[in-house]
Amino acid sequence: MATPRGPRPGAFPPNHNPNALANNLQNLQINLSNRQELSNASSGGQQPPPFATGQPCPPPSDAFQRGFAPPVAPGQSTLPPDAMPARPAGPTPVSQPLPFASRPPPPGVLPMGSAPPVAPGQSTLRPDAMPARPTGPTLESQPPSFASRPPPSGVLPSSIGGPAAPRPGPLGPPTPLQMFSNGPAGNGPPAFAPGMMQSGSRPPPPVSNLQRPPPPTMLSSQAPSQPLKTRPGFGGPPTFVSSSVGQPGPPFSTLPRGPMFPGSSNMPPPPGPLTPPPVQGTVQSSGHLHGMQSWPQQLPQVGLSSPTHGAMQLQQLMSGMPPGPPPFPNQSMAMGQTDPSQIDANHIPPYSSSSAVIQHETHMDNHANPPPPATSTYIVKDNGNCSPRYMRCTLNQVPCTVDILSKSKMQLALLVQPLALPHPSEEPIHVVDFGESGPVRCSRCKGYINPFMKFIDQGKRFICNLCGFTGEVPHEYQCNLGPDGRRRDADERPELCRGTVEFIAPEEYMVRDPMPAVFFFLVDVSMHAIQTGATAAACSAISQVIPNLPEGPRTMVAIATFDSTIHFYKLKCAQQQPSILIVPDVQDVYTPLTSDIVVQLDECREHLEILLDSIPGMFQDNRTTDSAFGAAAKAAFLAIKSTGGKLLVFQSILPSIGIGSLFARDAEGRSNTPAGEKEPHKLLQPVDKTLQTMADEFAEYQVCVDLFITTQTYVDVASLSVVPRTTGGQVYYYYPFSALSDLAKLSNDLRWNVTRPQGFEAVMRLRCSEGIQVQEYSGNYNNRNPADVDFPAIDCDKTIMVSLKYNDKLREESGCSFQCALLYTTIYGQRRIRVSTLFLPCTNNLTSLFVAPDLDTLFSCILKQAAKEMTSAPLSRVKDKATKVCINILHSYSMFCATKSSSALLMPEALKFLPLYTLALLKSHGLSSDGRIDERSFWLNYVSPLPTPSVIPLIYPRMIVIHDLDEKELEDSIIPAIIPLSSIHISDEGIYLLENGIDCLVYVGASVQQNVLTRLFGISSVEEISNQFMLQQYDNQLSKKLNDVLNEIRRQRCSYLRLKFCKKGDSSAEAMFLSNMVEDRMPSGAAYADFVALIRSEIRKKKA
Amino acid sequence: MAAPELAQTEPEGIEGVRMTWLNWPRSKVEASKCVIPIATSIQPIRPHVDLQILPYAPLRCKTCSAVLNPFCRVDFTAMIWICPFCFQRNHFPQHYNSISQTNLPAELYPNFPSVEYLIPNYQNSQNFNQSSPIYLFILDTCMIEEELEFAKSSLKRALGMLPENAMVGFISYGTQVQVHELGFSEMSKVYVFRGSKDISKDQVLEQLGLSVSGGRRPGPGMHKGGGGGGPSPVAGAGPGINRFLLPASECEYTLDSLLDELSTDQWPIAPGNRALRCTGVALSVGSGLLSASMAGTGARIILLVGGPCTEGPGSIVSKDLSDPVRSHKDLDKDAAPFFKKAVHFYDELGKQLVNQGHVLDVFASALDQVGIAEMKVAIEKTGGLVVLSESFGHSVFKDSFKRIFEVGGEQSLGLAFNGTLEINCSKDIKVQGIIGPCTSLEKKGPSVASTVIGQGNTTAWKMCGLDKSTCLTIFFDVSSSEKSDPAGPSSQLYLQFLTSYQSSDGQMRLRVTTVTRRWAVGSEDLVQGFDQEVAAVIMARLASYKMEMEEGFDATRWLDRNLIRLCSKFGDYHKDDPASFTLNSFFSLFPQFMFNLRRSQFVQVFNNSPDETAYFRILLNRETISNAVVMIQPSLISYGFDSLPGPALLDVQSIAADRILLLDSYFSVVIFHGMTIAQWRNMGYQNQPENQGFAMLLQAPQEDSQLIIRDRFPVPRLVVCDQHGSQARFLLAKLNPSATYSNAQDMMHPGSDVIFTDDVSLQVFIEHLQRLAVQAS
Repeated sequence: MATPRGPRPGAFPPNHNPNALANNLQNLQINLSNRQELSNASSGGQQPPPFATGQPCPPPSDAFQRGFAPPVAPGQSTLPPDAMPARPAGPTPVSQPLPFASRPPPPGVLPMGSAPPVAPGQSTLRPDAMPARPTGPTLESQPPSFASRPPPSGVLPSSIGGPAAPRPGPLGPPTPLQMFSNGPAGNGPPAFAPGMMQSGSRPPPPVSNLQRPPPPTMLSSQAPSQPLKTRPGFGGPPTFVSSSVGQPGPPFSTLPRGPMFPGSSNMPPPPGPLTPPPVQGTVQSSGHLHGMQSWPQQLPQVGLSSPTHGAMQLQQLMSGMPPGPPPFPNQSMAMGQTDPSQIDANHIPPYSSSSAVIQHETHMDNHANPPPPATSTYIVKDNGNCSPRYMRCTLNQVPCTVDILSKSKMQLALLVQPLALPHPSEEPIHVVDFGESGPVRCSRCKGYINPFMKFIDQGKRFICNLCGFTGEVPHEYQCNLGPDGRRRDADERPELCRGTVEFIAPEEYMVRDPMPAVFFFLVDVSMHAIQTGATAAACSAISQVIPNLPEGPRTMVAIATFDSTIHFYKLKCAQQQPSILIVPDVQDVYTPLTSDIVVQLDECREHLEILLDSIPGMFQDNRTTDSAFGAAAKAAFLAIKSTGGKLLVFQSILPSIGIGSLFARDAEGRSNTPAGEKEPHKLLQPVDKTLQTMADEFAEYQVCVDLFITTQTYVDVASLSVVPRTTGGQVYYYYPFSALSDLAKLSNDLRWNVTRPQGFEAVMRLRCSEGIQVQEYSGNYNNRNPADVDFPAIDCDKTIMVSLKYNDKLREESGCSFQCALLYTTIYGQRRIRVSTLFLPCTNNLTSLFVAPDLDTLFSCILKQAAKEMTSAPLSRVKDKATKVCINILHSYSMFCATKSSSALLMPEALKFLPLYTLALLKSHGLSSDGRIDERSFWLNYVSPLPTPSVIPLIYPRMIVIHDLDEKELEDSIIPAIIPLSSIHISDEGIYLLENGIDCLVYVGASVQQNVLTRLFGISSVEEISNQFMLQQYDNQLSKKLNDVLNEIRRQRCSYLRLKFCKKGDSSAEAMFLSNMVEDRMPSGAAYADFVALIRSEIRKKKA
Repeated sequence: MAAPELAQTEPEGIEGVRMTWLNWPRSKVEASKCVIPIATSIQPIRPHVDLQILPYAPLRCKTCSAVLNPFCRVDFTAMIWICPFCFQRNHFPQHYNSISQTNLPAELYPNFPSVEYLIPNYQNSQNFNQSSPIYLFILDTCMIEEELEFAKSSLKRALGMLPENAMVGFISYGTQVQVHELGFSEMSKVYVFRGSKDISKDQVLEQLGLSVSGGRRPGPGMHKGGGGGGPSPVAGAGPGINRFLLPASECEYTLDSLLDELSTDQWPIAPGNRALRCTGVALSVGSGLLSASMAGTGARIILLVGGPCTEGPGSIVSKDLSDPVRSHKDLDKDAAPFFKKAVHFYDELGKQLVNQGHVLDVFASALDQVGIAEMKVAIEKTGGLVVLSESFGHSVFKDSFKRIFEVGGEQSLGLAFNGTLEINCSKDIKVQGIIGPCTSLEKKGPSVASTVIGQGNTTAWKMCGLDKSTCLTIFFDVSSSEKSDPAGPSSQLYLQFLTSYQSSDGQMRLRVTTVTRRWAVGSEDLVQGFDQEVAAVIMARLASYKMEMEEGFDATRWLDRNLIRLCSKFGDYHKDDPASFTLNSFFSLFPQFMFNLRRSQFVQVFNNSPDETAYFRILLNRETISNAVVMIQPSLISYGFDSLPGPALLDVQSIAADRILLLDSYFSVVIFHGMTIAQWRNMGYQNQPENQGFAMLLQAPQEDSQLIIRDRFPVPRLVVCDQHGSQARFLLAKLNPSATYSNAQDMMHPGSDVIFTDDVSLQVFIEHLQRLAVQAS
């Protein structure tokens, strides 16, 4: 939290807080020149008076740019979510999370839970949990507390307006609400949405907030007074607006500054409190496909004793079945009643996802609260357990023994994303300073103090929740215990009441002074790079990102270019102009100077600018076709070896010379040429160990390499990617590179790369409760010893998969804890330890295990494992294995959990999309045998550190209709309803947009109305669309909306998607688009229905 | 160096040739009895007023390719000339039709034993320009700021003096080598080579993007500055070389500003360590770079070095300051771990430069040694210049450095490139080899002797760099078959020296010097033809050479033995009667030369560092006979009120309180004021009008010293000192110690001095010599 840190002596730049994000967000909007337009554009969203937002009208698109609920935008802006304005401005960190009990319940809470402000019988200490409690049991239990569930409309959560309609009905006693709500709609959710985001516990009257200046660390944009100015920054200018030729920023005029804020859902939090599900778990089948909320949270203790499984007619599920209680708590689904031929597409769970914002409390009633789906938009209230953003487990209940686990055929693994971006409305992570002594830790397992440590003996000793060891509490940290056994100060100390905290690392956690932020840009200037414009694009992207680098003496930069030699630039400020130092020996490289190559940014801004301007011209006539990537990277590494840092390499051709040079292993760059190669998967492996050895050395000296591949040919991504993968970096792949259309993406990617929250010289370790231990980590990192994971750099987009194994039994009553500790250096040079603790219940019951799987996480693991195996096993085996995993799990379920012996395919609700995802995986680019080998390598590499929320769209892309954007009233979301990936949903008159987090395809049917074409693209016939076609914004509603949608997607994905146009009739483009229709029958796999049938018959075979 | 007008009076004459024996002993046995070897010193391109420049190609003998010369017998009617070396009859070509007894071409004039042919169309005319010489400066930056500033300002001045068409390149180095691409206009651009790694020529070329065959880079490509613009004076050379080498007129500004920004080497120096200095790699890179220039283009690598090489190949000492640089003692005891490797490295470098026809000049300024001893081999092979001084601010460096860029006029060194020397000689004469700045081309032939001295096994030598004072010593042998020669007893022997070279203005010239000498008839003939100056110098060169080449060689004993043998043979004496010993006047100075040689820095090396010794020897081997004599036996001039300035005995007794002495020991020039003179001067008498004479007396040696200094290269160190002053040691060290502390009472006369030494005096030496000479044999 920002405020508390104010008073701390020697506080570092505040940025480290999640709030800093806002800055980053701002940074994402690159083109300042676009701001004007932006502000105009966004004015609609901003203007409305703060409290008018209760209106159900569709949010003005721009309002979303902040990643915040649009309708509430004004209100929200007045109330910076993390500012918690009601709080004293500068409380000490410990005092921060004041017990909420002292507050009047937030207005938002009241209406929802319809509980009286002071819930009876609830623990007063945890008032936040309160509203939830009463809901289920006390109120109408039937329509399961609408509050906790998304309303049937499915759109509910997405906006305040949306829910309005359905809500009133169920809403029992809305009275309290009335009192608070200023909105015209009585049911309306609170005007103070932001307040509510704090899990409803922040009650401050909004008005007062208005006056309160934002705490220092806040984003200015969240300050009420500034929304108009800053918003634009966020929202990013509508992408295509600015294509006007006359724009100053030369090639970039068309650069959309797409916001890249992922986690930020556009939606205001649903007014409802994050409530636990009703006691009776019910299937929340929402009426509509996309509204469907698949959230089978079953608290383990809840009536699983007599599970009955009903096979529910899918139709029923889909046809807007009233939110009535499903008959059985443990929902399973059956599909394909008889045999494949009879399978009706409608019998298969159609893909759907919810766009509603979910309020999530991590821990309730001493129990872990199962997390919302990774792909949904949710706002977390950390009240003991860490946010699912930081750590998710494949199973939300941990089996007590390895037998149960293996019976279930599911896998126990964690996906850890230690620096994940929080939702802006979430409370920032508390920073705790224990001073010289450092954080309190268990003296045996070295686990960090966390809310699950149990204090005994009048607070003099504590029992470690990880290893069970009883240790002494340091004298100065002792505190008496309350009657409930908790420390009296537990709520004032973030480390005792928050699942995630950051400790300031004292001296003993440092082997050296925290490293400065070093950015080394390395640009390919070989002939090909120059001629394709890649060099100019890279230089211009760098030059645009320079102002976004952190200011101050700790930021160092360096630039080098390379072709067959390496060119360093001496940037000493005293010099008249930069000078070039060439290292010609690419077999055995060295650094040409010890000083003046890596210089403080503040001292050389001008020179940098001049240099970046002149590089493309300087090499204009370069005839050198060779590229010494390996040598250049090595030389750059040597230059920053003493400090470590980030090495950003722009590479355009296959490295052909010097250390680590490669050759075209595959004549065509295609794997499907049967010629010779007996094991095509070998092409996915690095050609030799050279680059790996180099990368290991880089990692050892804390150098992280990010690779921007701007190419039109084969570059052997498989070999190159080893370097970023080992050093905690990332590969960006622009193929086929086009200076015209890829410039914007390159620019944005680079900007996000350097401005996103990140840390340097990081070490991570995961500790688990006794009985479980880490089996393996996987992700982009370097492994020097088996227990720790070393990252030269880690950022908010990196996820590490941790697979676990048993070495003992767990006790059902004690639960299981996981603690991830990441020691890292912030960009401002502070050493911190981020500790996230996840506490999960244990179970001995296989049935309850099947209630608990977190499909998104589980599937992410399956995907990552498949990707890993791709390089070592033939494709067919990988595919078989993935299919088997699906079959085995479902088989296990129907064997052990399903009572009804039906020939139908029984699936636990939680896993209902498993077959669909599996099918999509089999058809994905990475697993298709006819893809270009480089693209597949990139895919495999991309998947490895991919965060869970991005996995699903990668496999099952999101498709929407865009030709009628202006016709639909989108109540709550900018992005219209998602349509399943099946060609039956595609008509010739339509225009469709499909995105997977990397690419964005716009499919234009053959007979689209001309006026739609004109309005959207400014053309009169489909024929005019070419490969190089660029999207622009025109002055009409449809075009604006399309741009808004696109920007919103970019923001959600944290990625500036590459836009490609596919028109019907253009065979290759059309094929590319259609290859994404995973539910169709296609050469690479069966149709969805057939696949389900196949699985069913396999299971039947197994049973037999 | 003599001014041309004086030349005729000098023994070299127009030929530029001096010999130990004017009349040659007839047989091998006889020759060996002569003790002093038959040797010739030649200044191949010595200027002379009477030298004829002939603008046409020479006529050559069709069998031995000797050039037409005054000693050929010419049959004017038959239009035939007979080669004096092989007796081949050659027809004159058509364009000689008009010659007759009275109409002789210059090459047949007996007065002109040397003529010079200006060779037209050596290269086709449009390429004429291309042979403008290349100056590649290599500057050490591991120095203190002040020294570097001195070096830089000297460099800048040099740039201003270069002819406009001279091609210039620049390399700076410290821990790494930085090759500056002067042709890159956009910003300063530097290729950096690591100092620790040996790098071959091909690698240099490839890495600089200059390789032709490698095909790694088709052309200069990216460098639009150098490639397209302007006429390229080094066209035809490796592609892109003119990115690095530009005409002085084009790059003066660039280079000036580059030098302005150049700072001392930035690499950190660990405490207690020497700076990391990669002289060896810098030279490798430099020579590699030059190899891309067109074959036959003259080029000099001018190295300015400020300390020992400690990094990479060619290192002469470890980085640790506690290890001193090797001394003669270390070399003797084989306790110089870097020496042999470094010498080998520089030897290879020298070979490469010779192949390319390029010169290595070294200007070393440091208080400690820099490794001249190791580099000597490369410097000598390429005919480079070397100057050793204490500081780049010292006049020894500054003035010497300036002189190499002076073109034309007396001050010019007349630097020339790409010289080749060929020798034709009469049948019975064999060539053993050459000591001096050249490299054997290994051209075998009947005139090649089996024993080798210096650069041998050949009748042709390469002199990458030579100048008008360059002097070579050629050792001859005679075969003893002459008596039975059916061709009749020829009393004359003939030698022809053919020197082709490229003058500093780029012209190709061929100097043809043909000399004839008599075969000696009897001992008297030999005695009459003895040149004791040449003999002394040649003995010095031979002794130095043997000291370097032969392990455990005792130079003093060798010299003594030879001197005794010589005296026994040519002295007049009664056996075993030392008092009866007399020497013919042709030999009379020789024992004194030998006495001084024994005491000189060439033989007594232990007072000097190996670098100094190497430096002295390089100069001894390349300087003219008269200069070399000064090195061996300094000249001393005495100035007094009572007499005209005149030569004085090189003896401590020449010191007098009321005299000024001017000592010229070649490397230093000492003005020594007697005690009284010094006192008067200190009291300022010279400023009083009535003491004009004193002022003039003080002035005279100053002026004379300037005369000496002006003509000399390297510029000698001028030492002005007073009797009993500390600097007086420069004089005392050279004087014959006739008065030492042991015999001071006997010898001392008023105002004189004593030398604190145990060395024997000349008198004692001669006494011993007489005694040994008469009892020998």
